[in-house]
Amino acid sequence: MNALEAKNIIKNYSGHYALKDVSITVPEQTVFGLLGPNGAGKTTLIRIINQITGPDSGEVQFFGQKLSPEHTSAIGYLPEERGLYKKMKVGEQCLYLAQLKGLSYNDARKRLHEWFKRFDILGWWDKKVEELSKGMAQKIQFITTVIHEPKLLILDEPFSGFDPINAELIRSEMLRLKESGTTIILSTHDMGSVEELCDNIALVNRAEVILSGAVKEIKNQFRTRTYELQYKGTALDLTISLGAFFELVDSTKEDDHMIAQIKLGEDKNLNQLLSNVLGSVEIISVHEVLPSMNDIFIEAVNNFNNAQS
Amino acid sequence: MNKIGLIIRREYLTRVKKKSFIIMTFLGPLLFGALMFGAISFALNDETNYEVLIVDKAGAVSQFDSTGKYFESRFEKRFEYNQSQRIKYSFLDQEIGTDAFKESPYNIMIEMDDAVVNNSPCTFYFKRLPSGQVSSAIKTEIENAIEEFRVGKNLNIEYSEYQRIKVDIDFKEVNIEKLGKVDRTQEKAVVGFVFAVFIYLFIFLYGVQVMRGVIEEKTNRIVEVIISSVKPFQLMMGKVIGIGLVGLTQFVLWMVLSTVIFTVVQASMGGDALPAQVIEQGGVRTIQPEVMAQMQKSGPMQEILQLASEINWPLQIGLFIFYFIGGYLLYASLFAAIGAAVDNETDTQQFMAPITIPLIFGFVVSEFLIANPEGAAGQIFSMVPLTSPVVMMVKVAMTGHITWYMIVSMLLLVATFIFTVWLAARIYRVGILMYGKKPTYKELWKWMRYKA
Repeated sequence: MNALEAKNIIKNYSGHYALKDVSITVPEQTVFGLLGPNGAGKTTLIRIINQITGPDSGEVQFFGQKLSPEHTSAIGYLPEERGLYKKMKVGEQCLYLAQLKGLSYNDARKRLHEWFKRFDILGWWDKKVEELSKGMAQKIQFITTVIHEPKLLILDEPFSGFDPINAELIRSEMLRLKESGTTIILSTHDMGSVEELCDNIALVNRAEVILSGAVKEIKNQFRTRTYELQYKGTALDLTISLGAFFELVDSTKEDDHMIAQIKLGEDKNLNQLLSNVLGSVEIISVHEVLPSMNDIFIEAVNNFNNAQS
Repeated sequence: MNKIGLIIRREYLTRVKKKSFIIMTFLGPLLFGALMFGAISFALNDETNYEVLIVDKAGAVSQFDSTGKYFESRFEKRFEYNQSQRIKYSFLDQEIGTDAFKESPYNIMIEMDDAVVNNSPCTFYFKRLPSGQVSSAIKTEIENAIEEFRVGKNLNIEYSEYQRIKVDIDFKEVNIEKLGKVDRTQEKAVVGFVFAVFIYLFIFLYGVQVMRGVIEEKTNRIVEVIISSVKPFQLMMGKVIGIGLVGLTQFVLWMVLSTVIFTVVQASMGGDALPAQVIEQGGVRTIQPEVMAQMQKSGPMQEILQLASEINWPLQIGLFIFYFIGGYLLYASLFAAIGAAVDNETDTQQFMAPITIPLIFGFVVSEFLIANPEGAAGQIFSMVPLTSPVVMMVKVAMTGHITWYMIVSMLLLVATFIFTVWLAARIYRVGILMYGKKPTYKELWKWMRYKA
């Protein structure tokens, strides 16, 4: 089942499109990466899912139902621009936010206690928020986002402001939540975490989805049929042996061996490449060079923008 | 608990628990009481003795005494020592010059010549400007003396007879609809004014708090988290109602505490001494029981009791509560919209004017209303919702009964606050997510028309 399905969303702000016929599908219990340059329309889409604003046209379905106000208690949202009431005490504030998400006072108290214990921050309960560091406040914000055990969790740049240790904590919490059935929409510019965490992505650019699907498939789609070959021998020997249908893209020297990147010509495969070079150099290892999400992001956006202008 | 209830609860509790609230609650009436008490006792204890020298070159009001050495009042019972204002008069028949006056023990010197007797102004020298009460006491004394002098010189009658002839008319204003009653419309208007001031203060103090609260949520960036759980409208109304309740709490506590303080002060000063002295404008230090008794029979005390009995209190207080709440809701929602439109308090100025001007204008209209109770301006602006909370308080105190336009006014107020709440909510829901640039009115108009 799909946790979320947005169909043909259009949102117009006084003459310019924030979202132009955007559709995304988020399967249940997966991590979905919502990517795109700044100002592409990600935040608008997230706000529509959170029912902070409504679309001009289009429909959002939440677990097969039309999205409606009672779903807010099944969604947890950590906005990019996030804060807390500075003058309020941490515990009080967590209780307040949890109750706004529909938890009873007692449930909220019990669950908060568990989370505070797990994050080892029980001592913060009576502190005022203004006494906390940015990283500490981020932890509190994460807890208040997930405290009501939402079926759908929307995290906008969740790692910003965290040191590597706490970022890892959040990352492992995300995976734990996913294991226990939560669906997560992750909006981030950190492509490393996209590769690590996301099952599917949608790339939004200039109010449109220009690329979407499973991360594995997208990577396949963007394969350049390039292989990295580590060998002993000279670059000259290798080049001569390659022949016409294999292109040497890059060649570097590493201690006692060489590394070459070779792009396969059309209709050629790895076996043919290997048989060509076997007699000339000594092969140590060979593997396919898959494009990183970072490369894919840049390529897709540039291609789209060039095509438009 | 539903969500708007949770928001009201938070807005209320965080403010009521603040130290500043607790301090203001107790300090407010104390400060007010201290100010009142201080002002009164200051007025009572003005120890300055006024030594007034009258240089009477015309010999109009003074003459040699029996010893032939000193001047004294020409007329019996004139220029006697004024006990309440502590004014003592002395006379001379020729100028002593300003330098000599500076050196002298006198604090006031008045020069009178022949021209003064014929209504020219006379010069009043002072070392420290006396209060209006003191100058007017001196002025009355001199006027009466010159009058008596002129009567003796120009008319062939006794002064006592002249006083009998002299005309001094007071209007006893009677509304034809209320025969047999003295009309105290103007005094009643003052009572209404006090209520109006309370409404004005309340709207302002707590309206600004609503605005600050909204700005705080915006700059703290918590607002997006909250409105992913509740509707912006709920957040706005929760804040407006919560802060309104804080205001009501403070108001009620002030009333209770003021009553307590007043009673305690009254008891410690013995009986009704304080109000009696207030009424005497600080002129009397101690009041003899018989004077007191007489005052209560026909004095200002009686006047006040009479005035109080003529105010339609149930209506006055009922309407006060209605306009208090209605006016607050109307203005507070506008304040919320302003808070949502800006990023910080300094940017609020341009939007404040449309809010403050109608409120202040209400007071201006109320002034006209006192001068001209039946005027059209009063009628109209007691119906216009932006001014009605202020104007109607004065109006109802004066008329004392419900009229058709009060009902129109109340209905209009309800309709308008529903409208402004709706309007403010539309600006609010867009504004709270807008950061950076300061919006113009044109942009606010655009926000209002965005689809929900």
